[in-house]
Amino acid sequence: MTTSFETFLLLAPELVLILAALVAFLASAFAGLRAGWLVAILGLGLALMISGDQPTAGAAVSSGPVTLDGFSAFMRMLIYTGGLVLCLVQAGDRFRAAVQTDSGGVHRHGSGEEAGTFLILLAGLSLVGLANDLVLLFVGLELVSIPTYILLSLKRSDAAGQEASLKYFYLSLIASALFLYAVVCLYGLGGSTSLAAIGSQLRSLGTTPVATTVVGTITPSMAAVLLPVTLGMALAGAAFRMAAVPMHFYAPDVYQGTSPGNAAVLSTLPKIAGVVVLARLVALAIPPLGNGQPVGPVAETFLAELWHLVAVVAAITMTVGNCMALMQTNLRRLLACSSIAHAGYLLVGIAAAAAASSSASSLGGNSLTAASASLDGLGATLFYLATYLAATIGIFGGLTYLGHRWPEWSATSQDRPPLEEIETIDDLNGLASTNPVVALSLAVFLLSLAGIPPFPGFWGKLSLVTSALGIDSGAAVFGDRQSWFIGLTVVLVLNAAIAAGYYLRLITAMYFKTTDKGTQADGGLSAGLAMVVCLVVVLSFSLRPRGLFTSASEAGSTLTGTLVTDVADTMPGPDEPIDLTMQASLEEF
Amino acid sequence: MSPSQLLILVPLLPLLAALATVIAGRRLGSRAHLPAVFGIAAAAIVAVSLVITTARSSGGGENPRPVDMVTTLWEWATVADAYEPEAGSPAAVPGTAIGADAHAARPLSIAVALRLDPLTATMLAIITGVGLLVAVYSIGYMHDDPGYPRFFALVAMFVFSMSMLVAASNFLLVYVFWEAVGACSYLLIGFWFSKPEAARAAKKAFLVNRVGDFGLAIGVFLLWLTYGTLDFHDTLSPDGTILPGILGQTRLADVSGYVGGLVGTAICLLLLLAACGKSAQLPLHVWLPDAMEGPTPASALIHAATMVTAGIYLIARCAPLYMACPGALVTVSIIGTTTALVAALIGTVQNDLKRVLAYSTISQLGYMFASLGTGTLLGFTAAIFHLLTHAFFKALLFLGAGSVMHSMGGVIDMRRFGGLRKLMPITAVTFLIGSLALAGIAPFAGFFSKDEILASLHSKGWPDAHHAATGEHHALLTTPGLTGQTIHDVGYRGVSAQSDHALSSSAATGLDALNQPFVWQLLFWMALITAGLTAFYTFRAVFMTFTGPLRVPEEAGHHAHESPPVMTLPLLILAVPATLAGLVLFSTESLSHFLAATPSFTAPSVLETATPAVFHWDLAIQGTLAAALGIVLAAVGHLGRRSDGPQMERWLGPFRPFLEHRMFIDQLYVGLIVKPLEAIAFLAAMFDRAFIDGIVRGVAWLPVATGAVVRRLQSGMVQRYALAGVIGVLAIIVILAWRL
Repeated sequence: MTTSFETFLLLAPELVLILAALVAFLASAFAGLRAGWLVAILGLGLALMISGDQPTAGAAVSSGPVTLDGFSAFMRMLIYTGGLVLCLVQAGDRFRAAVQTDSGGVHRHGSGEEAGTFLILLAGLSLVGLANDLVLLFVGLELVSIPTYILLSLKRSDAAGQEASLKYFYLSLIASALFLYAVVCLYGLGGSTSLAAIGSQLRSLGTTPVATTVVGTITPSMAAVLLPVTLGMALAGAAFRMAAVPMHFYAPDVYQGTSPGNAAVLSTLPKIAGVVVLARLVALAIPPLGNGQPVGPVAETFLAELWHLVAVVAAITMTVGNCMALMQTNLRRLLACSSIAHAGYLLVGIAAAAAASSSASSLGGNSLTAASASLDGLGATLFYLATYLAATIGIFGGLTYLGHRWPEWSATSQDRPPLEEIETIDDLNGLASTNPVVALSLAVFLLSLAGIPPFPGFWGKLSLVTSALGIDSGAAVFGDRQSWFIGLTVVLVLNAAIAAGYYLRLITAMYFKTTDKGTQADGGLSAGLAMVVCLVVVLSFSLRPRGLFTSASEAGSTLTGTLVTDVADTMPGPDEPIDLTMQASLEEF
Repeated sequence: MSPSQLLILVPLLPLLAALATVIAGRRLGSRAHLPAVFGIAAAAIVAVSLVITTARSSGGGENPRPVDMVTTLWEWATVADAYEPEAGSPAAVPGTAIGADAHAARPLSIAVALRLDPLTATMLAIITGVGLLVAVYSIGYMHDDPGYPRFFALVAMFVFSMSMLVAASNFLLVYVFWEAVGACSYLLIGFWFSKPEAARAAKKAFLVNRVGDFGLAIGVFLLWLTYGTLDFHDTLSPDGTILPGILGQTRLADVSGYVGGLVGTAICLLLLLAACGKSAQLPLHVWLPDAMEGPTPASALIHAATMVTAGIYLIARCAPLYMACPGALVTVSIIGTTTALVAALIGTVQNDLKRVLAYSTISQLGYMFASLGTGTLLGFTAAIFHLLTHAFFKALLFLGAGSVMHSMGGVIDMRRFGGLRKLMPITAVTFLIGSLALAGIAPFAGFFSKDEILASLHSKGWPDAHHAATGEHHALLTTPGLTGQTIHDVGYRGVSAQSDHALSSSAATGLDALNQPFVWQLLFWMALITAGLTAFYTFRAVFMTFTGPLRVPEEAGHHAHESPPVMTLPLLILAVPATLAGLVLFSTESLSHFLAATPSFTAPSVLETATPAVFHWDLAIQGTLAAALGIVLAAVGHLGRRSDGPQMERWLGPFRPFLEHRMFIDQLYVGLIVKPLEAIAFLAAMFDRAFIDGIVRGVAWLPVATGAVVRRLQSGMVQRYALAGVIGVLAIIVILAWRL
């Protein structure tokens, strides 16, 4: 593995982001918040343009610790477009706690450091998607976490804000430490930091007599001891980022204690990181197509443990998230619980992908039908992720735009009391008459999250359920795995029903309750713009889900199909016929 | 622009108009009609140009080419490998799927696809044309209504839905817009929702229609199971094979392409149930008279001219399906003729002008069903012909009734006014024209279409008298644009042949036994009696309203007057086609030739029934005599001073209460269906409250209780969170290791 000029060429969009961040940091000394976000948006636009020029699907380009394949290109596109909209939300986030200093004076809305920090966060996230190396993966994850701490403490300086950022800081540290254990174990298993090398070592374990690596000799029995620790620790790291059980505890407290703009970031971007980590983990046990390498028993065990684990965590996560959400009255707490529940839905697809891949492996590693089945699981997760992103950013964009509302006061009293933060469900009462556009948009986003057809959330849940039910559905005998996944599907559907309860409660508040408080919508207009953008995206996906679905399943299949070997610049010839079959099966969809 | 792009405009413009009215309606105030009027007007112009385009590309003449232009806007949803035809199933008949794998799995793809063919073009022209006149008329009729913008938004929305319904090239899309027009109808019947009768009528219409919708839904499911597709048109699968659509060229050209027997009959009867709901046929006709609670322009547009013809459209569109099931066909005719007779009988004693027209609509729709059920090319085109003329003269009559109601201060009871011809001459003359057309007096429009319907019934009852041109119309159907070569020689075999020979030995279902000449003879006589009754009740209404001494109800106040020009102008415009459309279209035979190019009518089973167009003097004389007798009776009873007289009571004797109570059909439904259902609903409600709710509360309590437990962990203390997280991870590791 060598790091060369080409590596930097591949990372050009991330480098642009870092540069833009530096500019934003410098500019913050002279110009205000707006200049910072302007730089951020320009930088993101430039990065999007550059990444659009880079080769994407089909040929996976790998250089040094970086791999650009269909999966990472999809992730990058998701991160940058999501980031662009989040920029608008963040720029419009005028949370009052950030406005008032301790002395009661008012300083300018936020600071330019916010924009720079946010750009670095995005660059780190994009690195996570591109990483083909454990070290880069870990660094990328930290590059996501550390800016998040800063954002949390920058936005809100009151006691609640400080508490939230500290909580996030400590728990994130623990999660990082746990994940580092997993990294070490993986290194021990594979004898290399390269994911491709680890994968190839993992698959050959048990088939070749004894494998020797730089860290010594690994036997299958040693691997069997290492596997549970690796998986558990890696899952812990991913679970923290996705806000999944057992690392979900921070979410409600932190969301509540921060501004809606930050909550938008927290509920979306780390989820992407978690999904990437788990997807890369699944891909470890799948041989690159055309490689023909046999899959050993250790890799089989790895996948089997992984999907059992992920399935159980998924079921518990969605149930816990939804049950907690039912009891919430605070808006951001409720959305945090909903975010936990959605992490559970996302995990269903991962579990299905892992289970489908393990059957692919047992069939000899190269069975096309099985590979296309695994494409469904990961593709469904990616699709769901995109729809979740659109709806969630939209909701928080709307809340950011609303900002505060007038408290109750009578015109006879002298002074108008200070504005109140919109924080409980009751604060949304009567929104349909005071801010009809916001109310309508929020209703659409909520319905999408609840999975009501024809909104994209429905298509997402549908594809998740289809992928889960597709496991072994062709099998002659009703197997153990099939019953697992049918059970998981039942849990998912029941949870969707529970979730409808609290989403509809919000809609009821907006449309069927009245209030005598006025809503001022004092958030920045850009947050409103972000909400409208999300609304357009959500509506267009409801009418035409097909385009997104195609690209999501393509991205998923490149990962489970072709994790490229270390120095190969492009995939060799043999993957061509496979590409064709893949195309055909996509066309059919 | 290409025709297919133009086609998109027809629904699109009214949709945009509806949205514009919804968004800006309040601001537009008294000009809220502008988007709807202009949107529908533009759509009407486009629709007329589409008719011309379609007519040109069909080539005209005796053997027109089938015209079938399909535009797929986008694929809404797709499920891969949704259907795997078994060997021998109709979806897999070799020859219907061209290509090696006729049994290969195929996707369920729901394409938003619009089609343009003569039937669609005709329907679009009717919908937008009548829609435009009604919209213009409503400017005057609705002018001081508080819901002015809402009304125009709904009308535009209806025109959009109805255009989509007739342009959709997919059964699922048809279903969607079938529901959409139902929803628009519901909203327009209940337009004055604060009036309890209107709200009740809207609910009744909706519920009765649900019965029909149920039939459509099950029918669509069965179609999917039988044919493995829901598209009308042929589609190309990714591997280059042709998936034959249900009404696509490939299947149409295949003589055995359609399923008869039990399944086929079931599909046809379910679609018939749907059509009965929407088109107010027995036994689902009860909603239409009550629907007159809505604003009169809505009644004219939806409940006379367009929406109620959706059932006719559906059956005409599915003609090849019906041709394979003679039993279903004869059922269509029996239901249609019975409805025509029953509704006409009830119509003779109604005193509410709009209700007379409502029953007349039901009766005329019955005629169209009777004509469709004959299963001949003449029958199908005659039904559409009558649909067209009926749209004109019935809209004219309704708008005339609305004009009367408008100037009488909302009173519509014919016993309370009379002699209005002096007061409102334009309305009187145009109403008379409409009535002559409805009664079927030559040379008005209704005469010719009704004559064709009688002729089609007659040809089934006395087949020897009409030399069916069997075998003369062998058609070599080609599929241009697909393969460019002849795919099938159209022979004369299979189930489709049964339709012409009543005593077919291989009757698949019991219903086929009804396909006997004497049944058809009976139906013919019923239709002829109905023609007389139609003339009677129509002219009874004319005489009661417009002749005799001038009487005006006090609600009208002192300003009873002729309606403003914006209302009379549509009347005058509509009077022209109500007079001439029949004569022109019949003498030139342009409509029947035009319609014959519709793909559904080019199925060999339909084509072989084609007969040379002849004017049947004997039938025309019989029909005219019946009508004249009706008019004379009406004159004896109600002309002039007797316009409010009790003659009917003397003539009908004990029958009168029977008819006045609409043959107690409503009461029958209340007694047999509504009351038992209410009793069951009551029991179910008790059970629900006592038992199910308990369970539900228990279940609902479960997540809340879980939440309460989980919330304990959510203590807010960061060290506990960390501990719980680490314990969780350790538990995972231990469990995984233990499982090893």
